[in-house]
Amino acid sequence: MRNILAIAKKEMTVYLTTPWAWIVFTFVSFVSSFFFIGYLVRFKEAHEQIRLQGGWAQATPDEQFLRNLTDGVVMPLFSTMLVVLMFVVPFLSARLFAEERRQKTFELLMTSPLTSVEIVLGKYLGGLVIIGATVAVTMIYPLVLTMFGSSFSATTSEKTATLEWVTVMLGFGALVVWGATLLAIGTFVSSLTESVIAAGLITFALCLMWLVFQSVAPNADEPWRSVIDHLSIEAQLRNPLRGVFDLRPVVFFSSVIATFLVLTHRSVESRRWV
Amino acid sequence: MAMIEVERLTKKYRDRVAIDALSFSIEAGKIVGFLGPNGAGKSTTMKILTGFMPATEGKARVAGFDVFEKPLEAKRQIGYLPETPPLYPELTVRGFLKFVAEIKGVPRKQVKSEIARVAEGTGVTSELDRLNAALSKGYRQRVGIAQALIGNPKLLILDEPTEGLDPRQRNEVLQLIKGLAGQHTVVLSTHILAEVKTICEQVLIIHRGKIVADDTMAAISGGRESGLEEKFISLTAN
Repeated sequence: MRNILAIAKKEMTVYLTTPWAWIVFTFVSFVSSFFFIGYLVRFKEAHEQIRLQGGWAQATPDEQFLRNLTDGVVMPLFSTMLVVLMFVVPFLSARLFAEERRQKTFELLMTSPLTSVEIVLGKYLGGLVIIGATVAVTMIYPLVLTMFGSSFSATTSEKTATLEWVTVMLGFGALVVWGATLLAIGTFVSSLTESVIAAGLITFALCLMWLVFQSVAPNADEPWRSVIDHLSIEAQLRNPLRGVFDLRPVVFFSSVIATFLVLTHRSVESRRWV
Repeated sequence: MAMIEVERLTKKYRDRVAIDALSFSIEAGKIVGFLGPNGAGKSTTMKILTGFMPATEGKARVAGFDVFEKPLEAKRQIGYLPETPPLYPELTVRGFLKFVAEIKGVPRKQVKSEIARVAEGTGVTSELDRLNAALSKGYRQRVGIAQALIGNPKLLILDEPTEGLDPRQRNEVLQLIKGLAGQHTVVLSTHILAEVKTICEQVLIIHRGKIVADDTMAAISGGRESGLEEKFISLTAN
């Protein structure tokens, strides 16, 4: 355990003493603030329009999600963050193993009394902390909303809590799990190459393929259509991003993470045998 | 007691044979020069002994532990300086040595004193708070040796420890290694014969993957000043 933590700490130090993590934090706060303001303006305009039309009873079902700040602003923002993470996680994961090879420091790890499992888990954990911090950057917006926003009960017009924190935290959890999944894929790709840039690009390409995977489903025949639909990100994250806790995506993403960590371990071990 | 025992060790890279059925043993406490022309298989042998890569055939034991069957126990006995010092450029010297102490299992309470000890021994105390990336080549090499000394391993394997140093630094590093005799077994590879003459008690000459000489310094040089050069050149002629 001490070995895993030592490696994780080393990875975090490297991320935080070089521009890597800071570029990501800056990029994420920049992009997410754009979307936050966009969603907030849409929310405000929708509310004004609906007041003119005579209240929420007249609104179409499509507009109902705009009734409160949680479903109207925070959750759309989190959905956008799924895509943003797809850009930044490969950027973070790419160096994990590739850089060690390039700098010839891998020899130190491989000749120290460490097991390959400890090396893989240590690196993964270090990356995970940075990704957790990246996702946490977007928690600024729910906090801003609680400080300055207000909500009223639909039935009694009494003031209620601004945000449904259970839903918000569920969405936050979904983002972290998604980031952890991308990181596992990226760690594996990084273990295959000496080139940081190649590792980043290949990881990004894989994630992009997974994201657009779902659009193939309508053209496929059964049973493939159901299989593809089940494997798509949208289907897996639909519930948590609506504030519905569901054990299935947890199991699904844990399996993906475990699979890629096992593959990484195999890849690291195989390097000993070439 | 033999610190290193190697039996019929062979390594093939696809069709190319890097080392061919090497057998030798090294006694504890000795300083051993591992000589050979470039590409003779010195680094390959060292990488196998340190567990960085496996042999195609044969056995190797370090302090009685088989490096293939008991890799963790064997690795705990070894401090290794690879050809390129494995320094993370982003870390400070202190941070780097601390990391190495942690992964080598130095008890938490002793980490600080251990860093102070190896830094003192290698003369990098004044550089402890600089980034590895900012070090000169001489200091990089010293930090590489400091890293190998952490945890006080029984066996030190140094792959060209004086490479790229100026004559003064070279001399300092050699004196440093000489001072380790007795408490550590040291295997150092080099192609600079003068260095071997200064500090080594036993000499192994390897050529095209085979051992061509394995004897004490005195026996190989025959007591003559230029004995080692003559022997080296005649043995590695073809």
